[in-house]
Amino acid sequence: MDDVGEESQFVVDEVSTIIKEAVESTIGGNSYQHAKVNQWTSSIVETLLGTLTKQQKPFKYIVTCTIMQKNGAGLHTASSCYWDNTSDGSCTVRWENKSMYCIVSVFGLAI
Amino acid sequence: MEVEYVYTKKRNEFGRQCLFAESGTKLLENIPPNKDLLNQYVLENPVNTVRAEYTQHGCNHTEGGWPRDINIADLEQTQRFRKKVEKDDSYINTVLQLSNSMEFCILQNNAFNIYEMYFDDLEPSCLVDKSSARTVNMYRDPCPIKRPVTHVSWSPDGGSRIAVTHCNFDFQRAPPDLSTASYIWEVENPNKPEHTFQWPVAMSCLEYSPKDPHSLVSGLLSGQVACWDTRRGTDPVDVSVLEASHRDPVHNCIWINSKSGTEFFSSSMDGQVKWWDTRKMEEPLETLVLDANKDEQLLSRAMGASSLEYEPTIPTRFMVGTENGMVLACNRKGKTPAEKMSMQFKAHPGPVVALQRNPGFIKNFLSVGDWTARIWSEDCRESAIMWTSYHPALLTDGCWSPTKLSVFFTTRMDGVLDVWDILQQQREPCLSIKVCDEALRSMRVHEAGQLAAIGNDKGNVCLIEFSENLAVTNKNDKTLLTHMFERESRRERILEGKSREQRLKAKVHGSETAVKGPKTNQSAEFRAQAERDFFAIVNREIQQMAQASESMPAPLEQADTGEEDAAAAPRKASSAGLPTTAGGAGSRRASAASDAVGGSRKASLKPDDGAAAAAVGGGGSRAASQSSESPSAAAAAAGPAPAHEAAAEAGAQAGTSASTPRPSQAEAGPSPGQSKRSSKS
Repeated sequence: MDDVGEESQFVVDEVSTIIKEAVESTIGGNSYQHAKVNQWTSSIVETLLGTLTKQQKPFKYIVTCTIMQKNGAGLHTASSCYWDNTSDGSCTVRWENKSMYCIVSVFGLAI
Repeated sequence: MEVEYVYTKKRNEFGRQCLFAESGTKLLENIPPNKDLLNQYVLENPVNTVRAEYTQHGCNHTEGGWPRDINIADLEQTQRFRKKVEKDDSYINTVLQLSNSMEFCILQNNAFNIYEMYFDDLEPSCLVDKSSARTVNMYRDPCPIKRPVTHVSWSPDGGSRIAVTHCNFDFQRAPPDLSTASYIWEVENPNKPEHTFQWPVAMSCLEYSPKDPHSLVSGLLSGQVACWDTRRGTDPVDVSVLEASHRDPVHNCIWINSKSGTEFFSSSMDGQVKWWDTRKMEEPLETLVLDANKDEQLLSRAMGASSLEYEPTIPTRFMVGTENGMVLACNRKGKTPAEKMSMQFKAHPGPVVALQRNPGFIKNFLSVGDWTARIWSEDCRESAIMWTSYHPALLTDGCWSPTKLSVFFTTRMDGVLDVWDILQQQREPCLSIKVCDEALRSMRVHEAGQLAAIGNDKGNVCLIEFSENLAVTNKNDKTLLTHMFERESRRERILEGKSREQRLKAKVHGSETAVKGPKTNQSAEFRAQAERDFFAIVNREIQQMAQASESMPAPLEQADTGEEDAAAAPRKASSAGLPTTAGGAGSRRASAASDAVGGSRKASLKPDDGAAAAAVGGGGSRAASQSSESPSAAAAAAGPAPAHEAAAEAGAQAGTSASTPRPSQAEAGPSPGQSKRSSKS
């Protein structure tokens, strides 16, 4: 029980690189277009979930994605979880380009 | 029957035990508000602009806007009418209808900041092209002992060849086996000179004929001139006779625009300019001794010519730059030598090493000497119209660009070539390149303006190519340059006139002061002395005043001292003091019983005078203690005019109460020069 294996742990660094790749490949250098945001968010979430499940780890995943246009407004977001602290984890990445912020968080819950 | 089946499974077979715990609130992300981003944020156009269709209506609001029975000037009537209309249903409906389209239009306007400055955060890119230059080729003196390059000349057939003369000017210090050869280089081939000219005496200059690319003339170190032909081999075609030639090394030879195309003239350090014909080299056609003396021309007095200028478009005129820094603008057509040397410019303190008229503005010429290059206008004799700052290194040569009129080049002793574009900047060269470590000696620009051949001390000739913006004239360069030259010469003329006026005035003034004697000459010293005395008196007066107000001593005693002071002040100050001028004048006027206002007006011109007069008046008025104004009031009067009035009055009283010689002395006090100055001011 204590010896939680490497494969059944939520490795934040690994996930954050996956997130960055997913965002980069979807949005990249595009500038904010309101019509496309819907498409972008779903695409990010899907690719992210796809890559995460491909890792074959005993995890349930929750992925959220927020895209915000850069117009000077502030944003504050927080989460609270009731979970197994030893195995579960979350990872949030803020990515930004010239015109928007993209905030992606992944919650990994061990089965 | 009760069937019971107990299913058992061990806890550890269920897998890991769930030990859930609250992880606490975790901040996912925090982005603070950003004002900069807000400012940069541009709303996407919320409304699409539509094509506007214009119609025109005419409506005179002074008549049509209001019903006839309402007087527009009456505020109450108009207001009442407004209220009545605003209650009208049709009005409300119309406004409601119109407000939609109006709002749309306003939104259209607000969608974009129509006063927005685009790209204002970008650095302004410089409009001027970057000037540059590069060394294209190098032609080395083939001789083992290197000699300085003294002259460079481009061939007239499109500049495919360069004639380079090497010559060591060191008198009697040149090594005995020094070569005397000079060369013609093909521009394309820097390995071997195309042609060599050899003569027992070294050449100091070699100049291509502007008409015939085969013939050249040269000046020799011996003072002779020689003509050469490239088809003839290394020997000269003809050399002038030594007796008829210059007595010093020939420094410059220039071809003249003549019918035969065989005439040229030469100048030398011996102060002579000689005209020659290559067909008849036994004697010069004409000789001019560069002596400004009108009566007789003496070779011993002549000014050595260090540079020579000839502009083919004005064929009878030429210019000579001399060793003592003069530039002589000459006309060959003059009957006497004085007429020939019609204009003289004191150009430089040292020898004028280069002289050239601007190819586009013949009236303006460039002179290079000592540490500066100067641009002159023939209209301004006294001073150059433009000049460069003094360089750290001596300048050795300079010339205009033949294609871009505003560009000129100067070469320096420290191996730097400066390119000046006076339209771009005058303070410093627009391009400075270090051609080599040795001193540069002479330069010539190719007729296309982009190439320049520059010779240095070690016998090398560098071919420099300039960037296009230094060779190509822009569309309005010429007009700009015309304006610039005109403006600068006008400025210089104004300054010239002013300085002449000042000199005249100084001369007149000087003679006047000389007549007036030593008094005014030592005025500064006397003024200081008078000032000291004056303030000592004033201080004493103030002290006495303070005492008087305290103890009120017997008026008779006071009168005595006050009188003395009043008399002493003008006497002392009369030696030269400025302050007494008005005081003296005031007392004189008052004693003459003329209006005191004149004196006060005079005094009011200079506050100092007023104060002085007030102080003197303080003494004087106390001397006549019956004066209606109290002494303290007179002294304390700040305005010069009333103070002086009092002073004039008091002075008059002092004058009358004092013995006769004293006022006369006070009257004689102000020197004529002084009074003249005060009346002038």
